[in-house]
Amino acid sequence: MKNRENSPDKRGGWLFFLVGLIGALFVGWVIFPMVLYSKQEQPVNFNHALHLNPDLGIEGETKQEQCLFCHAFRDDGTFTGIPKNATCTMCHDDPEFPLGKSEDEKKFLTYLAEDKEVPWLVYSKQPDCVYFSHIAHVQMGEIACNTCHGDFAENENLPVYEENRLTGYSRNIWGRRISGIYFDKKPWDRMKMDDCAECHTERGQEQNNACFVCHK
Amino acid sequence: MELNRRNFIKFLVGGVVGIQATPLPWKFTDDTAIWTQNWPWVPVPPTGAFAEAKSVCNLCPGGCGICVRKVDDRAIKIDGRLDYPVNPGGVCPVGAGGLQLLYDETLRFTGPMKRVGARGEGEFIRISWDEAFKILGERISTLRKNGVPEQVAAVDGNGRDTTVSILIQRFMQAVGSPNYVRTPSIEDTYRLGNRLMQGLDSTMAYDLENSDYVLSFGCGLLEGWGAPGRVMNAWGLWHEGHPDKRGTTITQVESRASNTASKADYWVAPRPGTDGALALGLAHVIIKEGLYDKAFVNDTFGFEDWSAFDGKPHMGFKALVLKKYSPQQVEKITGVDKKTIVKLARHFAKSKAPVALYGKGKDGQNGSLYEFMAVHSLNALVGSIGRAGGVLLPEPLPLSPLPPVKTDAIAREGLTKPRLDEAGGDRYPFAHSLINNFAAAILGKPASPIDTLLVFSANPGFTVPDGGGFMDALKRIPFIVSFSPYRDDTAYMADLILPDSTYLEKREDVVWPVGLQYPFYAVSNPVVDPLYDTRNTGDVIMELANVVGESVGAAFPWEDYEAVLKARVKGLYDAGGGLVAYDASNPPWKQNGKQRESGYSDFDEMWDALLAGGFWYMPADTRRGSNDLFKTPSGRFEFFSKKIQQTIQTLAKERSLQTALKQMGIQVGDDTACMPHYERIECEVDRTKFPLRMMPYEMINLTSGWIPSPPFLYKTISDTQLLKDESFAAVNPATAAEFNLKQRDRVMVESPTGQVKVRIDLFEGAMPGIVYLPLGFGHTAYDEFIKGKGVNPNTIVLAGKDPLSGEPVWWHTPVRLTKV
Repeated sequence: MKNRENSPDKRGGWLFFLVGLIGALFVGWVIFPMVLYSKQEQPVNFNHALHLNPDLGIEGETKQEQCLFCHAFRDDGTFTGIPKNATCTMCHDDPEFPLGKSEDEKKFLTYLAEDKEVPWLVYSKQPDCVYFSHIAHVQMGEIACNTCHGDFAENENLPVYEENRLTGYSRNIWGRRISGIYFDKKPWDRMKMDDCAECHTERGQEQNNACFVCHK
Repeated sequence: MELNRRNFIKFLVGGVVGIQATPLPWKFTDDTAIWTQNWPWVPVPPTGAFAEAKSVCNLCPGGCGICVRKVDDRAIKIDGRLDYPVNPGGVCPVGAGGLQLLYDETLRFTGPMKRVGARGEGEFIRISWDEAFKILGERISTLRKNGVPEQVAAVDGNGRDTTVSILIQRFMQAVGSPNYVRTPSIEDTYRLGNRLMQGLDSTMAYDLENSDYVLSFGCGLLEGWGAPGRVMNAWGLWHEGHPDKRGTTITQVESRASNTASKADYWVAPRPGTDGALALGLAHVIIKEGLYDKAFVNDTFGFEDWSAFDGKPHMGFKALVLKKYSPQQVEKITGVDKKTIVKLARHFAKSKAPVALYGKGKDGQNGSLYEFMAVHSLNALVGSIGRAGGVLLPEPLPLSPLPPVKTDAIAREGLTKPRLDEAGGDRYPFAHSLINNFAAAILGKPASPIDTLLVFSANPGFTVPDGGGFMDALKRIPFIVSFSPYRDDTAYMADLILPDSTYLEKREDVVWPVGLQYPFYAVSNPVVDPLYDTRNTGDVIMELANVVGESVGAAFPWEDYEAVLKARVKGLYDAGGGLVAYDASNPPWKQNGKQRESGYSDFDEMWDALLAGGFWYMPADTRRGSNDLFKTPSGRFEFFSKKIQQTIQTLAKERSLQTALKQMGIQVGDDTACMPHYERIECEVDRTKFPLRMMPYEMINLTSGWIPSPPFLYKTISDTQLLKDESFAAVNPATAAEFNLKQRDRVMVESPTGQVKVRIDLFEGAMPGIVYLPLGFGHTAYDEFIKGKGVNPNTIVLAGKDPLSGEPVWWHTPVRLTKV
């Protein structure tokens, strides 16, 4: 028996265990997220920074006003979300703001020519079972856009959109970090139900944590 | 170091331990749970901008106002409109389900088509509009060239006097065919009765909302009669007031405990087809007890006995009723207890604003003319004519007539040919069109006298109550063209489809909904753009006329259908007055007889209001006693119709009086024939072989006309009416016991014209001896949700002929039951 304990076989056995362990950790932490999430480029690489440059683009006294120029509320209070082509052409039909210089502008023009809406991918799209009202948060709650969406307005390039192949949710909803552990969590890191509830509680709006507020 | 079994297990154990320390198992479990809640095949409606489009529902002649909720370009919900006079806020189940008629592609034709399969199979291929016009245009031109334009026939189910209906008639006239046939409706009975008794050519203007006693002879008030939204609203108004002292009493006269009968205050069940006798029994009591409105009755014609210019004495209504319709006599005919008759008559006559309504279920089928006259005479007796809460006498809708058609020699020759259905001829002098005769005439000849049949907004192969006769006639017609937007039973027999757009995709007018008490006109506003390659039939007729060319094309000088609408609407404006806005606090029925000023400043303002899903109406006048209200030969309300008398006399010149009356199906003598009276429905069938009777009945949640039921509605049908693919016959338990039948037994209902297999529903509300079959089931077309569900009672109807009007008596089929 003693002989066997010190045999190379025994030491080698631990090595196999370690190989399995490390391999599994690698699969779980690296391969799994790569397989789980699809990476998709936006159909047109929209430059937020350029449009919000006060010298070139959209005017407005506050940043909020600038955001709302395109991501507007309708008269009935509903939120338009990602703008339709018509919003773009509102300004770009004017020869003063021509399109067609860059590759992305050309791509956009082909959509216009075919009379098709650009199939934008929405990073913060909540699933169908969630009722979220922008106007309740922005106007009644007086929360600025970047509080939840971060400084999107300063992006020159749109980030890659990642979609969970299994659930169809955007990665931004479940959370960028595969570990699910955050030490200094920002609202745009993750937009799950607990995050909504946490913020409501912090702001003294516990009553809005009732099920039927969001799940109609 | 070799990879033996033990080491491999260690490797696996390491892997298992390691994987626990990664997010994989936990996230995978979580995501799997989420995945099960987000099946990719469950549709999620896209979001967008909300909007509301206002329009008018054209699914039935009711013309209710609708408000359609939209998300971007997609219509998602139909509601009633609060800013609309006819139906303040309400719609019926069919109207609420109307979106399925728009979006359910399997119900619709998506473009012009040509038949490729056998007739009835529903196999078509797409063709272009140009090709479709060419095929049909050439066919009609050839018939005209051959000098037989009368071989073109049209069946029209569009609302009476609607612009598209006027255009169809104009087309037929320009082509030169007299064979324009309408599908029957209760309007036929109302208009004919109105013409004979009041001399007016408009619908019956029942002032329901103001009435305090509603005596309804068979009107399916809660089954969809008139404008359902309006009638339901009126029903609510009748029940308003102090809980102990209800405003309005409702009495329903009907052999079956329908929804209306069940919810009425009183239900009286005479034998089917004897409603007229019951009405005259009430008249007897009212006259005998002196309860009638003497002021009104003294100013009518034919109440008392009278003498003609030549001194010949004639019997009056009073003498007729007193002699033949005592409660005892009426009890024998109707089976209604004589005490009930007396009580009912007193209650009715002593009410302040009573009204007697006449109908047969919904408004989609004709009634009996003499029955109608008997019921309407009650309104005259109690002085409810021209009085608020009774029957008003509004002037006809002043739409501009279109300029006369300049026909060519071919058309003039064709128009002299007799109508195939003999309407307006010696046998049916008062009828405008008789669809049952039309089908019978085709079947009665060795070769079809019709070469090309055009079918507009109608499904006669399903709706005509003639034991399947129309369907058989369709099989023999060489060429059938359907303009239906829907894949209906008749369209499946067609060779060419020129599909109309659905009511939510096109402009169309509503002309005076059935039974409404004031002149009303509305125009629908397209809620969405046409989803498919379909075209408004109004435009298609004009285009077709151009393809046929010559004088036919010249008869349509307008740019498009909308231009014709505008030309007709000009008449409303020129007549002066009328309103285009509705104030809910002051509905039209509260404005009776008040000063009317037009609610717009110029024609363009009025026209724009109409185009925006708007309407025009003129609150009715309740003037009484003025002489110009009745346009009868006597200038007064006529209990004794001089028009009938004149017609009979004219016809009797050529043959004996007896023959003339017999030809018209009238059994009684000279004077009685001119007055409301009861005619026993004769039947040559051996009643020992067919001891029972079959009556079709209608429901609010199923269509029975040419419009298909939205498939949603089939989910609302109770399982005593439809279970899987079998519909039920409602039979009284006593009758069922005679045939040893239990609940849900399968039986064959056999009539002399056919048989259908149904299951039995034991129903205490059914009159013993009658088999009640639901109408609207048994389609041979449409999609999987509609096709083959239940049976169509029309296929076993043995239709008699209503005396004088010649319209089908569809409520009296002898049948027998055989257990299967």
